[in-house]
Order: sequence, then C-alpha cells, then structure tokens
Amino acid sequence: MSSGRKPLFFGLRLALWYATLFVSGSIAIVFLTYYLTATSLAQRDQQIIKGKLGDYAAAYQRGGVRVLAATVRAEQQAAPERLFVRVVDRGVESVVLSDPEGWDPSKLEIASARLPDGTLVQVGKSTEAREDLLARFRATLGVVTLLVVAIALSGGWLATQSANAPIRRLALAVQRIIRTGRTDARVPVEGTGDALDELTALFNTMLDKIEGLVAAMRGALDNVSHDLRTPLTRLRGTAELALAAPPDLDRYREALADCVDESDRVLVMLNTLMDISEAESGTMQLQRERVVLADVVRRAVELYRDVADAKGVSLTVEAPDDVVVTADRTRLEQVAANLIDNAVKYTPADGRVDVKVRRAPAAAVLQVRDTGTGIPPDELPRIFDRLFRGDTSRAERGLGLGLSLVKAVVEAHGGTVEVSSEPGRGSVFTVSLPLG
Amino acid sequence: MSSRLDFSLYHHVVRVLLVEDDTTIAEFVARGLREAGFAVDHEADGEAGLAAAATSSYDVAIVDLMLPKRDGLSLIEELRRRGVATPVLILSARRSVDDRVRGLQAGGDDYLTKPFAFAELLARVQALVRRATRAPEPTTLTVEDLVLDLLSRRVARGAKGIDLRPREFTLLEYLLRNVGRVVSKTMILSHVWEYNFDPQTNIVDVLVSRLREKIDRPFDKKLLHTVRGVGYVLRS
Repeated sequence: MSSGRKPLFFGLRLALWYATLFVSGSIAIVFLTYYLTATSLAQRDQQIIKGKLGDYAAAYQRGGVRVLAATVRAEQQAAPERLFVRVVDRGVESVVLSDPEGWDPSKLEIASARLPDGTLVQVGKSTEAREDLLARFRATLGVVTLLVVAIALSGGWLATQSANAPIRRLALAVQRIIRTGRTDARVPVEGTGDALDELTALFNTMLDKIEGLVAAMRGALDNVSHDLRTPLTRLRGTAELALAAPPDLDRYREALADCVDESDRVLVMLNTLMDISEAESGTMQLQRERVVLADVVRRAVELYRDVADAKGVSLTVEAPDDVVVTADRTRLEQVAANLIDNAVKYTPADGRVDVKVRRAPAAAVLQVRDTGTGIPPDELPRIFDRLFRGDTSRAERGLGLGLSLVKAVVEAHGGTVEVSSEPGRGSVFTVSLPLG
Repeated sequence: MSSRLDFSLYHHVVRVLLVEDDTTIAEFVARGLREAGFAVDHEADGEAGLAAAATSSYDVAIVDLMLPKRDGLSLIEELRRRGVATPVLILSARRSVDDRVRGLQAGGDDYLTKPFAFAELLARVQALVRRATRAPEPTTLTVEDLVLDLLSRRVARGAKGIDLRPREFTLLEYLLRNVGRVVSKTMILSHVWEYNFDPQTNIVDVLVSRLREKIDRPFDKKLLHTVRGVGYVLRS
C-alpha cells in the first residue's frame, strides 16, 4: 500500500537531513581543530628557531664564527633535538656549524638573520616530528569522523523512527477504520500532550461526529420506514377491499378518493418525519435571517383565523415588533402554525386561544395559551414524542407529528419548548429562542 | 366554459414535450394533458428528449431530473446553450431548497416535486404557456351568471351583488382563473395564504365552505363542487 510507505520515506529523509547537518558540523570542528593544532605547532617551531637565531647572532657578533661555533657545538651536542645552523659570509662562503645526520633538508623550518657586516646566520629545525604528530592526529580525527557519521546516521534514524512511530500508528489506525468502515473504532491517544496527541484527539472527535450522524440517519430511516407501514397498509387495504367487492362505480369512486387522501397523508407524514429527523440530527438546512417574530406569528394567526371563527373560538394575538430572532422564517412559521393548530383543535366553542410574543431577559418568547381540554399529567412528558397521540386527542384528525416537529425545529435553532397544562382548564406552550 | 376553450385564444394546439422515464407517471401525465387539450409527445430518456426539444418547437417541456443517458439538468443546460428558449417545468423527487435553486439556475422555469397532484402540474403548465404567449389579461372573470370584476373588485351573481371578504375574493378569483379545472387544497393554501407546508387542520375546507355559503347557497344552480380526494372545481 503506497500510503503506508510515506511515513517511512519521511523518516528516512528526516534522518538523512539530521545526519548531514550533524556530520558537516562535526567535520567543520575537526578541520578547525586540525588547522589550529598545525598552525600552533608551526608557530612554536618558529619561536624556537627565532630565539636560537637571536642567541647565535649575538654570539657571532661577540666573537665571530669561532665563538658561534663553540656555542653551537656546546648547545647542540646536549640538545635532545639538534638544529641545523650555518653561516654564510657575504653570500660567498658558507660554513655549516650543525648538520644533524639523516635530516632531509627539504623538511626544514628555516629562519635567517642578516647581520650588520653582511653575514647571514641561518637556523633550521626539522619538521619531521611535527609532521609525524600531525599524521597521527589526522588518523585519529579520521576515525573520530567516521564514528561521528555512524552515530549521526543511526541516531538520526532512531530519533526519527521514534518520532514517526505515533504518526505511523495514527495512519495505520485511520487506514484500519477506512478499510473496515467501523466508525466506532478510535485511535489511542499517546498521552504525551503534544501536537500529535491533539491531532489524534481531533480525529477521534471527528469520528464521534460522523458516528453520531450515521446513527441519527440510520435511526431516522428505521423510524420513517416503520411509521409509513401503517398508512401504507390502510392504502393497500382500501384498494384491495374495493377490488374484491362486486363491481360498483360509487364504491370505486369512494375507495379511490380514500386512496388519494391516504397517499396525501403518507406524503405529509414522510415530509414531516424527514424534517424532524433532519432537525434532530442537525442536518436540517436552516436559511437563517433576521426575523421579526411578530410578523411570523401574525401570519400564522391569520392562517387559523377562519377556522377559529368557524369553531367559535376567540383567537387573539399580542406581539410587539421589537422582538427579533435570527432564524429560518419558513420553519418558524411552521412552529407557530403547529402550536396554534394544536391549540385551536383542542379548544371547544366559546374558548380562547391567546398568542403572545414577548422579550425575556435573554430570549424571545412565543407563548400559546388555550382554554381547551388540557393534557393529563401522565401524558404530559410524552406529547413531544413522535406519533404520540393522547387518549383525548385520538378523536381529532392529525398525524401526531406536529409537536415533535415544533420541538425539533425549535431545538435546531438553539431554543426550548415547555408545556404546562391543567386538564379541563387548558394548556400553555412556551417557546424560547435566542435573541438577535 | 371548458378548459379546452381557453386555448382557442392561442390559435394553435399547445404542444408539450414530456421527458420522463417512469412509464406509469408518463402515461398519466400525458393522458391528463391530452384530456386538457394539449398535444403531448413523450420521450423516455435524456438524449431522445434533448433531440426532440432541440429539433421541433414545443410550447412547454416537462423534464424529469433523473433520466437515463442524460440527466434532466444537463438536458436543460444543453438546450439553453443551444439557444432553445422553450419554457421548462422540472419534475423532481428531491424537495430541498438547494435542488430547486440548482434546477432553476440550470435554466428551468418552474419546479414541481414528486409526488404531485395532477391538478397542480396542469396549473403550472398553463401558467408557463400563458407567460410565453402573453395572452391578454382579462378584466372580468365569469362562469355562468357569476361575474368577478378584477378592476372594481366587485362580485355578482345575476343581478345580485355578493359581498366577499378579501380572502374569499382571492379564492374565488383563483377558482375562476381555473374554471373547469380542479384545484387541490395545497394549491389553494399556497395561493391564498402563501404557505407552502401542509397544516394539519383543514383551513381550506373552512374558507371554501364560507365562499360556498355566499356564491352558491342562495341560488338554485350550484357552481362550486368538491371533488373528493382531489380538491375543488368551479364549473357550470
């Protein structure tokens, strides 16, 4: 697998870089050391022969070649390392006073002094010992350099390998998850608290989110397919019953009309269930804009005005214009319409439905209060459940999805829905939405 | 007045191209449109649809989005690229706002989500034809002895004036513009209240029965009929 080799190459590249830097640094230090040692050795030789040259020039001046020769002989016979000394008289006659045996004249460090009478005194020192020392030094340095390169390469390799290990583990874990499609697997966090840990944690968080979404969608699909079975059974049953009966045009017409009604219900149900699922799973596309809550509420009230009138229910609205929310207008209209629908439906003639918008300290509040049949306390916690229909509500036409949609949409907007109710006296639904 | 008579104004039979791969849907749409007086050609895939739309002139094309060989969006885009301006009604099983926007951006003129009421499809096709042919706008709408004056906003049946509330007037006008054709509750809801979702209480029934009280009840001949399972129709 090509992706599996990338961290390896990356490690090798890093190790090479590291070794190159380390080795060139070491080589620079070695060269500098060698250069400094060589020059300081040469300087020391120079100082020795220059000192001797001064002594011998002074001896020559005191008593000519004779005194010089005596001095040289006395000194050089006792010296552990003999020097080369000669005197050149006015460039014509040269007298060698000391010429140590076996010395290679080409390996001499030489200093000369011209005296006032024109005589040239020269002192030379063999560089052989120095060269020997430096050669041994070079050999040692060579070995050291090789060691350094070896250490650098292996150290670099090891260091990058250990730095790469968590990356490789992360990559392998991700590959395993991709291969198996198991979104419940997680990459172990190393616990070192570094950037890599952060990346691992982020990756795990992403997996959490994906897993949540997949679960929500799977759940939604299960629910929808389950919830649609009942109306589809009715649809099929109606058609089958009509076909099985003796031919009768009126009966057929009736059955077909029932089928159309039922399929419309299936469609509304499907759309509403999808809306609820999308809102609950956070995948609902909200076209957020600044919405004056009063506009939405008044429109919804107008929608139910005729129905309320026909039923003899008084429908009032009290909504100041300064309560503004950032929300999906159509979805909010749906929320308001569903709450009013619910209130009007369960309020008998001569009852009231009062819709109010107000501004609370930190929220926009929409309240729908009715004087209807109310909700028994044991049903209260379940009224927002999908397809829940209380005993009292079964007589009314409806899908049992209106309040679930209200709750899902309001919560998708970051708001809350509350209900309080007193059987026989009425209910109050309160929606709170974040202001602004 | 029947729906057929509407189109005598255009002096030719309105030609509709239907590009839809589902044979059952294609059959009921084609049959319904023919019964409403249109000439309908049907193609079952995107390439054939494109060839037909590009070579002969249609008044309206109805294009499904999910088609074999060439999808509906690409068909419409190619058609517009070739400079064919035939109004296009898109049929789609996708109902999201994004899909609608994409369809209209590709060059579609209207968008209808499956499943749809045939009455709604018919109304939209007629609206597209009307827009394209720019038929003169009438100032009065009538059926039998019921007259609605769009300028003075007066309604009368025979010699007797009828007092309508604004929403009743809007509904009657809508029904009169669709005389002889059934309009569904959803169509009324979106036309009269501009609401595009289905409230669970039957708001439309209430408005229709109030309108019926005023235009039908005092008279012998009933004009506003309920077609069970489909909607309402105004006819003689």
